[in-house]
Order: sequence, then C-alpha cells, then structure tokens
Amino acid sequence: MSPLRILGIGSPSGDDQAGWLVVDALLTLGVQTGGGCVIEKLDRPGANLISLLENASRVILIDAMQGDGPPGRIRRFDRKDWPNYNHGLSSHGLGVLDALSLAQGLASLPARLDLYGIEIGSARPGDEPGLEIQVAARQLARAVAAELDAPLSIRGI
Amino acid sequence: MTERRSVAIHVPVLARVEGEGALDLRIENGDIAELRLRIFEPPRFFEKFLEGRHYTEIPDMVARICGICPVAYQVTAAQSLEKLFGVELDPWAQAMRRVFYCGEWIQSHSLHIHLLAAPDFFGCGNAIELARIAPDEVRRGLRIQALGNELMDLFGARSVHPVGVRIGGFHGAPSLARIRDMQDKLRAALPEAEALIRWAARIQMPQDDQAFVSVAMRSPNAYAIETGDIAASDGLLIGADAFDGHFAERHEPHSTALFSHYRGQPYLVGPLARLNLNHDRLPERVKRLLDESGLALPSRNLFHSLLARAVEILLALHEALRLLDDYRMPDSPWVPVTPRAGVAVGCTEAPRGLLWHRYEMDEDGRVINARIVPPTSQNQARIEEDLRLSLLNFGLAHPDDALRLHCEKVIRNYDPCISCATHFLRLNVVRA
Repeated sequence: MSPLRILGIGSPSGDDQAGWLVVDALLTLGVQTGGGCVIEKLDRPGANLISLLENASRVILIDAMQGDGPPGRIRRFDRKDWPNYNHGLSSHGLGVLDALSLAQGLASLPARLDLYGIEIGSARPGDEPGLEIQVAARQLARAVAAELDAPLSIRGI
Repeated sequence: MTERRSVAIHVPVLARVEGEGALDLRIENGDIAELRLRIFEPPRFFEKFLEGRHYTEIPDMVARICGICPVAYQVTAAQSLEKLFGVELDPWAQAMRRVFYCGEWIQSHSLHIHLLAAPDFFGCGNAIELARIAPDEVRRGLRIQALGNELMDLFGARSVHPVGVRIGGFHGAPSLARIRDMQDKLRAALPEAEALIRWAARIQMPQDDQAFVSVAMRSPNAYAIETGDIAASDGLLIGADAFDGHFAERHEPHSTALFSHYRGQPYLVGPLARLNLNHDRLPERVKRLLDESGLALPSRNLFHSLLARAVEILLALHEALRLLDDYRMPDSPWVPVTPRAGVAVGCTEAPRGLLWHRYEMDEDGRVINARIVPPTSQNQARIEEDLRLSLLNFGLAHPDDALRLHCEKVIRNYDPCISCATHFLRLNVVRA
C-alpha cells in the first residue's frame, strides 16, 4: 500500500492535459515516487481508478474540469461538493466522478481524498495546452508540494 | 379482463448502454401497434476514413472504433489482411493474438455484468446502488475487469485503443518476467471467476422462452474466439468469405445502424449464441461448473446472457493460462509482409458477437473500400423481435414505468454498443 498517491488525470487533447502538467511540475519540484509516495499520470482510467484509490491512505487527484470559470482557475472539492450522481453508468464512458461515486458506494475511498479541478478551455486532440493551463498547473503543483511539507499552506488556493 | 387501453411510451434516454438511441412503443387496443428501436446517433463514417489508408495504419485506426472492444477490431482487420497477403503468422503470434483477445473478453464481460446488467436483477438503478448491497461481488467484478485490462495492456501497450498489433504479428513481445507475473494473476483469478459463475447462476432471472437462430463462429477443436467458420443453430457452417451470401444488411428509416437478417429473419450473435453453439468446446473444468449451474443449453431465454458472459470469463482465463504456459520469447514478434491487391475478408468473435470485416485493397496495400459489420447492428432486428415477444409475455397492462424498465432490461441484455453500430435509449410509448 502506498500511503500517498498523487494522480494526474488527462488525455492528449489540448487543455485536458492539465492533470498531467501538474504531475510534471511536481516532479520538477522534487516530489518523486518513493518513500511512501506514488505519483503518476493516468489517461482516462475509468473503473481502474477505484483499485488505485483502494490501495492508498491518502490520494491527491487532479483533473481538468469544465465549469463556469475562466480557463486556469483552480478549484478544490470536498466530498459534499460532488454533484449528486443521477445517471446511469456506462462502461465506455466511466468518468472520474462516476468512479469516485462507485468507490464511495463500495466504501473504498481513502481516508483522505483531495480532489482538484483546473478549469479548461479547448480540449482538441493533438493541441498543446493553453498558457493559462500551464501556469495554473505549476501554481497547483507548488501548492501541493508546499502542503506536503507544511499541511496548512495549501489554503491559499 | 382484456386490456383495451391505448398507450404511448417514450423512453428518451436509455441508461447503461453505449451510444444514443430511443425506443418508441405504441399500444393500441391492448396490442403492440408499433415498436421501433431508433438509433439516431450520427454515423461515424469509419469505413470512409479508411479509404486510401495504407495497410500498416489499419490496426490502429480500427482500434478507435470502440473503447471497449478495440482488440476485436484490430485482430479482425489484421487477420483479414494477412489472409489476403498470404502471410503465415508465427505460431507464437497466432497464440498471443488469442491471449490478447481473452483479455478483452474478460474486461468487457465483467464490466457489463457488474456495471450495466446486474443492477436490473437486484432492483437497483445503477451499479452504485448495487455496490451498497453486494459490495464484495462488485469489487470482485472490478478486480476481474482490471485483470482483463492488464492482459490487454501486456500485448497492446495500453488497454484503451491498444497499439500492439501489426499486420504480420505484434510490434513487440512481453518479457518472460512480465508473462510469469501475469500467469500468477490469472491463476489467482480462477477461483474468483468460478465464484462469479455460481453467483450469476443464483440470480433470479425473468422466465422467457423464444425461438431464435443463434449465429457464432465455430472451431473444430476450441471455443471459437479469433478463428473459425461461421455457424448457425440451423446447421449452417460457412467461411467468412460466404457471409454476404447468407446474411443481408438493410437500412431502416428509424435507425442509423444497418439491420441484419439471415434467411430473411433476425438472428442472435453474442455470448449466449456462442454458448448455445459451442458449449461442447468448453474446457472440462468450465463445462463441469456450467453443468453445476443448471443452465440447460441451448437456452431460449436471452436473460441467460449474463451467465453466459460469466462462463466466458472463466473460459478466457483458462485459455490465456493454457497458451501462456508455453510462452517463449519469439525470434521476431512479426513476420514481413508484402501487400497484394484483392479482397480481404475475415471475422472474429468480439465480446458482443460476430464481427465481420471486408477490405478491397490496391497493389500498394491501400484501402480502396472497407465494410465493417459489428455485432450490435446484427442484433438490432433481434432486439426489436425480443422486445415485442418479451413485452407480450410480460403483459402490456403494466404501468408505463414497469414497461419501460422491462424494455431496458431486455435491451441491456444484449450489451449493445450503439456507438460501434452507430449507434441508443429513449422510450416513447403511445397508448391510443
């Protein structure tokens, strides 16, 4: 079991690489796999995300999101903020929230789950991520890295 | 009392199936006046995209047709072209193609059983509700599914849209160490898959009895997955080349997917059709467990499809283990290929049923035209027929919500992939 698992979720489609960019930035900051920490990039993991959650006591999950904010805005979600699950699951399109809801139903969520979303704009396959996404990813990485050293500093986000 | 009301039911979105479609049901004077499975997801034009493409690009392109059964598309395309080009695969590649395919059956079947179909039989609206009352079973299902993905990843470099297959074999061969690790995991999953069959056999299924023709591939010595001829339960046994002479596709105005018929009638493809035709080809250990389950074959109850998927998961685990027992590192994971002009035809058993490909190639190895017949479009006419028979058996006097749920159960049984077929469910019921 890895006490801490940092998962950046994305796809090779423009701004949707936000989660991957945070992992890259964390690696640059010296946050590495080892010593009870696993850090990895995931490409649309579907139901496989559940097994990754089960084997950790704390998970930091970063994904792109599309909301009403400007691209690059960072949001942190508590469990009470998760939208209520109200539609059928699809084996083809099992999203992060679907997987988290299913993991919750299975009582498989880690003791602590920090879920971050980075608002994105365009997610066109093959495009580079926008500058504001790259900036936001570095900012979130710095905050996560700082929190791992000093747990209260993340509250500035 | 005879039911005389007239009703119209509209199911605008069917959950837990893939793609977008709708069901229109009109009941007049207590009888079904109209029942149409409307598939309105726009066509994706994959066959057109393939035109002009070099044969080397085809496996990766067709893998994009489906996120759940990319191996089926890759292997079918590769084998069709290899036959045309006169390529004889190394026995290593031939065996590993079957192992690769087993991974897809394991993950696709386990996902369908646990996330899509099973909630219907426990009164649950979705897998999250099912997880609350049967957490151990859902966890087990997710572990089996993850193992299937891992097996696909082993040969395809990734489980979604894998990239391992090339015309002539594979791009690479997994190391012995990775194979040994996979063998350990497959062995450990055997008791879980056996428990899954016992659990599936205990689920109370609706009673139904319908006459239909089962169509599936059949091999002389093995349960057909990636090789074999096309067989039907009325005795037909033909090569893939003869498909067009026996099976006809036609457009229906209410669907963007083609409807398939065999001798003018709907027919069934998929796990239950395969089990009906090929249960004598199961390994003894799987056969014993199937006998214990009490399932009489051939089955005329489509709701047995869930148990059939569970049986095929165990079969796939055994097959993968058997073939990996002889694993060796190949001199080369692929053999050279020289393209030639002509028509390439082939078929395999995708998780949802028979998948048939036809490519006309030029002398440079480029596609002149392509035709792909996926399982869901073949099942579409059968689903409409099943809905009509099932509803009459169920009783049309039930409230609209009950009718809608029953229709959805029937449809989900087929694990339709509308996006592959182009493509699912809104129910419109009109009672007049």
